Amino acid sequence: MEPAKKHKVFVEGPIDPTFIAGSIEKHNKKYSIGAHSIFLGQVRNDKQGEQEVAAIEYTAYREMAEEKFHEIKEDAFKKFPLICMHIYHSLGVVKTGEISLMVFTSSVHRKDAIDACEEIVERIKKEVPVWGKEILNNENYQWKINS
Amino acid sequence: MEINVLAFGQVADITAKSSLKFSDVKNTNELNQLLLTIHPELQNINYLIAVNKKIIRENTELHHEDTVALLPPFSGG
Repeated sequence: MEPAKKHKVFVEGPIDPTFIAGSIEKHNKKYSIGAHSIFLGQVRNDKQGEQEVAAIEYTAYREMAEEKFHEIKEDAFKKFPLICMHIYHSLGVVKTGEISLMVFTSSVHRKDAIDACEEIVERIKKEVPVWGKEILNNENYQWKINS
Repeated sequence: MEINVLAFGQVADITAKSSLKFSDVKNTNELNQLLLTIHPELQNINYLIAVNKKIIRENTELHHEDTVALLPPFSGG
């Protein structure tokens, strides 16, 4: 088990699919890993009357959010026998169809990676001070509500 | 005695500024009352208060250079 590092979580703009592929490839020498679980959050075209969401602009209380991400990572490493864990979250504008959140957990057996990944995603949505401003195609906006 | 106040999301829409300064505010209840007087629209939204990055649920004494953050419901991910 690796200790949770104070790794950068926030990225400017969307998370590039080639970066995600690269993240998978980086684990190919870690031979004890038997399972990866990857959650990707994608910006959806929610409808608002005649309009629909064209993009989400993310802002954060950065210092507090970084501490929270660190705490969530440390808790997950304590609770689940994980070999690796990576979290990336976008700041700034992410268009519909692009990726804004990536949670990537790796373990010896699948259940630990899957359970940890799910718990981390739920905690991020509830506990991390990040806000999504949904920009509609007429350039009006509304604040995203997490379900 | 000076307090830094940070506003985010819908709260920052109402305050029109993301960073405000107040002096001589004893505690978070007093600060909140002051904010509601200046920006009555804040009554219409829910927000949590964090003092120096820790969310507080009860009235909390404030000290010089404390940072108070006004946090509307989180919507990351």
